[in-house]
Amino acid sequence: MQKEWDFDTLLIHGGLEPGPAGATTVPIVQSSAFAYESADAIEDVFRGRRAGQVYTRIGNPTTESFEKRLTLLEDGIASIVTASGMAAISTAVLTILRSGDEILSSSSVFGGTFSLFRDTLSSYGIGVRFVDPTDLDAVRSGVNERTRLLFVETIGNPKMDVPDIAALAEIARGAKIPLVLDATVTTPWMARGKDLGADLVVHSTSKFINGSGSAIGGAIVDLGRFDWKDERYPHFAPFVKKFGRFAFTARARKLIHKDFGACAAPMNSFLLAQGIETLALRMERHCASALRLAGFLSEHPKVAWVNYPGLADSPFREVASRQFGGRFGALLTFGLSDKQAAFRFINALKLARNLANIGDAKTLVIHPASTICCDYTAEEKALMGVTEELVRVSVGIEAPHDIVADFAQALAQV
Amino acid sequence: MNLTVNGKPAAIDAKAELNVTELLTVLNVEQPDYVTVELNGEILERDNFGSTLVRDGDAVEFLYFMGGGR
Repeated sequence: MQKEWDFDTLLIHGGLEPGPAGATTVPIVQSSAFAYESADAIEDVFRGRRAGQVYTRIGNPTTESFEKRLTLLEDGIASIVTASGMAAISTAVLTILRSGDEILSSSSVFGGTFSLFRDTLSSYGIGVRFVDPTDLDAVRSGVNERTRLLFVETIGNPKMDVPDIAALAEIARGAKIPLVLDATVTTPWMARGKDLGADLVVHSTSKFINGSGSAIGGAIVDLGRFDWKDERYPHFAPFVKKFGRFAFTARARKLIHKDFGACAAPMNSFLLAQGIETLALRMERHCASALRLAGFLSEHPKVAWVNYPGLADSPFREVASRQFGGRFGALLTFGLSDKQAAFRFINALKLARNLANIGDAKTLVIHPASTICCDYTAEEKALMGVTEELVRVSVGIEAPHDIVADFAQALAQV
Repeated sequence: MNLTVNGKPAAIDAKAELNVTELLTVLNVEQPDYVTVELNGEILERDNFGSTLVRDGDAVEFLYFMGGGR
């Protein structure tokens, strides 16, 4: 039945079982561990003869309910909900990679991902090669004998570049490596990773899926289409044998997710499951208001440039429109004359909040060069599309004219 | 046909032998595309479910990895 429901219905009902006493929300099972009636019964669960929960680091009924919904929404085969978006990314890549392997990554990834790939994983012998994801020849020539995965964001944050994901998926297929797609800024509402050709989708659910900035979370959705039998992934062999197309999720659950311990708190899984119910309505408003604000900014004399894939003069409009069904998301960046002007603008805002997040119901701004990207060199910032005059905006769902009015009055003070 | 299923004796109302895919249906095994099958102590390749026969006296285990997540 559930598989036949429309996406908007699955947002609300997907994976949701009737709760105790007729409860219509998923119960928050705030329990560290789960007791069994006998030693035999708990042995059966550990052995895997019987489905069941044992310990919240490994699994929890509230989290599992949210996992089921995400699996249905992405039309995947299984999901793992994690403590944060970064936990989802690190769990996904560490499940795939071993020392000596290399990631081929988009250069315009989120700063946290850039840091994980370049700094943290290099300490463990895992290399990374950053390429411009919109330059398909560069991506093709970036593949070498050590490459074991391709990592791309649906829309680069904050570079706002939109790669042709189907073309990247084709390159990954040719190289027999999985495409790991970070779809945080588009969510499955704008495009399902499966339709774009991805093998695994990762989300920071803290953003649009939560929708109100009330909980941190992440998710990995296994689309079950990559052939892990390949000899370059020998560590998958026992999982392929035992779990077939669930090999990735089995290896992640039985080793990386369990052993590193980046599990979701049940309360956060509840908040995220509540948030996702209204994703479709919110995203519609986010996208419409972002387009309106982008239009306003692009005509403002104090604004040097605006980067939003929905604008007619955006080099990414065609590919974004095709991939995301004529919807362009809530994020935009724009440039003022310099850093001082950007600071004066941010300081003058009355409605928009100045903070390091996106995907909130509230309109959010930040100056990335001095905050989330402050540890990077000028060359690295340039690679990520971060310049001194740039302001990033996550357009909220307040009354659109109030958002525009706030930006107008702040620009007047620049 | 008498089998040992997950450590317990089980009488199966079926012909003398059947393949693993058929057994999953006969026993109405939960999440058949998700389950791992062990036959007489050996994990079976999923691709071989249709060609692997289960016979009287065999021991079969249906296994799931902990934590759900589907």
